[in-house]
Amino acid sequence: MSPSTATVNRVGYFARFGIDEGAIRATLATALGRGAAFADLYFQHRVSHSLGLEDGAVNRASTGVELGVGVRVVQGDQTGYGYTEDLSLTSLLRTAQTAATVALGVSHHAAPIALHVAGDLPQRYRVGLPWPNVGVSDKLPLLTDVNARVFAADSRVCKVSVHFADETSVILIADSTGRLIEDTQPMTLLVLTCVAEHGGRRESNHMSIAGRSDFSFYTPERVARLVQDTVHKTMILFESSQPPAGQMPVVLAAGSSGILLHEAIGHGLEADFNRKNVSIYSDRIGKSIAKPFVNIVDDATPLHARGAINVDDEGNAAGCTHLVHEGVLETYLHDAISARHYGVEPTGNGRRESYCHAPMPRMRTTYMLPGPHARDEILASVKKGIYCENFANGQVQIGAGDFTFYVKNGWLIEDGRLTRPIKDVNLIGNGPKVLEEIDMVADDLAIDEGGWTCGKDGQSVPVSQGMPTVRVGSMTVGGRG
Amino acid sequence: MSKLRQTAERAVQLAQAAGAGAATANAFESREVSVTWRDGKLDKVADATAVGVAVELYVDGRYASVSTSDLRHEALVAFVTEAVSMTRAIAADPFRALPDPLLYAGQSAADLAIDDATYESVTATHRLEIAKELEDAARGVPGAERILSVTTSCSDSRIASHRVHSDGFSGEKCGTSFWLAAEVSVLDADGRRPEDSAYAGSRRRSALPDAAAVGREATQRTLSRLGASKGPSAVLPMVLDHRVGGRLLGHLLAPLHGAPLQQQRSFLQGRLGQQIGSPLLDFADDPLVPGGFGSRHFDGEGMAARRFPLLEQGVLRNPYLDSYYARKLGLPPTTARMSNLAWSLGNHGRDALIASLARGVLVTGLLGGNSNATTGDFSLGVQGFAIEGGRIGAPLAEMNIAGNHLTFWQHLAAVGSDPYPYSAMRTPTLLFDDVQFAGT
Repeated sequence: MSPSTATVNRVGYFARFGIDEGAIRATLATALGRGAAFADLYFQHRVSHSLGLEDGAVNRASTGVELGVGVRVVQGDQTGYGYTEDLSLTSLLRTAQTAATVALGVSHHAAPIALHVAGDLPQRYRVGLPWPNVGVSDKLPLLTDVNARVFAADSRVCKVSVHFADETSVILIADSTGRLIEDTQPMTLLVLTCVAEHGGRRESNHMSIAGRSDFSFYTPERVARLVQDTVHKTMILFESSQPPAGQMPVVLAAGSSGILLHEAIGHGLEADFNRKNVSIYSDRIGKSIAKPFVNIVDDATPLHARGAINVDDEGNAAGCTHLVHEGVLETYLHDAISARHYGVEPTGNGRRESYCHAPMPRMRTTYMLPGPHARDEILASVKKGIYCENFANGQVQIGAGDFTFYVKNGWLIEDGRLTRPIKDVNLIGNGPKVLEEIDMVADDLAIDEGGWTCGKDGQSVPVSQGMPTVRVGSMTVGGRG
Repeated sequence: MSKLRQTAERAVQLAQAAGAGAATANAFESREVSVTWRDGKLDKVADATAVGVAVELYVDGRYASVSTSDLRHEALVAFVTEAVSMTRAIAADPFRALPDPLLYAGQSAADLAIDDATYESVTATHRLEIAKELEDAARGVPGAERILSVTTSCSDSRIASHRVHSDGFSGEKCGTSFWLAAEVSVLDADGRRPEDSAYAGSRRRSALPDAAAVGREATQRTLSRLGASKGPSAVLPMVLDHRVGGRLLGHLLAPLHGAPLQQQRSFLQGRLGQQIGSPLLDFADDPLVPGGFGSRHFDGEGMAARRFPLLEQGVLRNPYLDSYYARKLGLPPTTARMSNLAWSLGNHGRDALIASLARGVLVTGLLGGNSNATTGDFSLGVQGFAIEGGRIGAPLAEMNIAGNHLTFWQHLAAVGSDPYPYSAMRTPTLLFDDVQFAGT
């Protein structure tokens, strides 16, 4: 039996800020007041904390509170957007009026009379103790312990810094179809930076682990692995050099090599670029773009992954989207606007940085499924090339298709063996060409736990990526000599 | 008293009442409006006013920095009180303190010309007209039949803030900026869809260039990318266009800041007073440039802004140091962050630098890549044009440059006369000898 709309306020968390169904209905009515077909409100309260350890002590702390609402008005593929940090009704209505100016007529669409809580969301990041209930003093030992372990691991270590962050974002989406969707999104991140000195030279490296999780994320095994990886990947730099310049075969290690997918194909499949006809992948749906053992997905479901979401920022269901199936391009990544444009269901990729921004198609957790080859077989097949195992950043030109990613650690491959460590080299290729050149895929898929952040049009969102070991027949290696 | 000043003073008082020995607060309010126009129709309008306060707390020798956009009185009281109690839980840091108040003194009285009084008179209609004009101009260029899509925008913002310190410092800032942009995609013969853009910005609306010129430039730049291909790997001279030089320069300057220097993550550590570049590498940090995007009377710690040399004839003169890392390093503070750069310019523009080369590469775009601040090694994706016989030749793409900053800047062979006007770094065109390019 459902309770009557007149007596029950279905606004949950945001009721504490004075938001009720009446305010939401009035704001939506104003947003639709100039004739637009659709409007939505995105309330967000995000509380974040961070701690920094430098020179042996946790000597800096910070907190941030973001509270506001974004009002979006959609007319066809046109968008009006405004936001306010003052949640009074007067301010909500003024913001809605501003956003409504994208439409220039009179109202044809009535605001919803009744609001309803839209279905049960999946629970991909359930937490025990929420972050706001974890005190600073409970977090301190994690940082000081990591610091001590790094110094203990190698006598060449001269400086260590540790950055710890947690946040809890509660969102409430209300739209003109009457849906109310609430989600609580936790996140935590630990970044470890290590500087070492050896033979009069210095080297540094940093690594991070991140997830939508609570403090139990920091298991002894996970923390030990971070310490070990960071120290190892710093020390090996003393023996590393930039590889030679030119075209050669490239083997990508399992894990964070998924950055290649993110840049080479992920962004190019975001449907806003294709709707505008400016992506190198425009008009390629249904076409074969890679070998039949290449399968690529963008997945909202991996439990506690940094790139997991229960629902997207437009309130649409988010599952696992197959971008490339057996080498054939299957679908773009859609938000609601592009899905309507193409006449398909949204894929749950409408995401935004915060209430300050309108959503657009964004990736979540992007990875390639395991293939038929073995890692050893792939390495053995390369006469002269490079093996890439740790990455810093990447970038892409959507239309020309050229993309890059920066390799922090790797190896030279000679006659099928890893012979000499390499460092600090940018790789550059063209997306569709590189996808065609992926000629071996191993069975060792790993989703990376690093704190990856994707930037697009001035908005940053957390993402994850993964990869099995893969061989690319040829790429340009930006080395020296 | 302004509302911003009231908010900042209230936050400092709340911090002190909660037990902070010293505190600073910076209250801000911004308005940003943008209109995006695409292929003959309005794409997006955004209009937003944001508020917030950032507070620094000094509690029993401990330090925290916090910020909130929830300025309701009870919320702010609870927020600051909790923040003070959080600060008590971390380790003491003897190097944390407000700056020496002597450094507040001596602010320039010059008008920086960064706040356009006509800001409020910009109308939605005006922005729309400019956005349309940008597109019309972009589509009016010969070769426009290859255009797939044009997206243009007209945007402006005004940011006001007031900073208050518990030791008596109080100062306000206000600045406007206005931007035009046009992005064009075209179809290449092989199905690639190269895109490029043109943009222009100014602190004052009246100083913006003609929108039509920006629109035309966007299409011309994009059409010039048609048929781009990878050139051979080679060591060649490089002309670095003034629009993109700032990114490479940023990689040189990042290790010149307090945190990397003190944390031994800087290849510039111990090199003050040493020659790290050719004698032509010569610029200062200048916060008092009229209309500069980085211009200011005081910095983020309230310290009076003054000009100081960074590189003089290739010799490293000063780091960027806030008062915290200055104390840790035992050096005098300068300022935490770059304002504007003022270069010793050459006598010739980009065309003359190109004409001086029998063979080389003109780099007009950087794509990804990175730089290792600890060692100075860098590797960056580039695109541009071959230079042959002193003239611009075929378009190049999907290439890369690599080197080490400590040798790279020694090969700076010429500095242009043309500082880039739409960035605080104001980089002129730069010519380098012996640059490693990777391609085929």
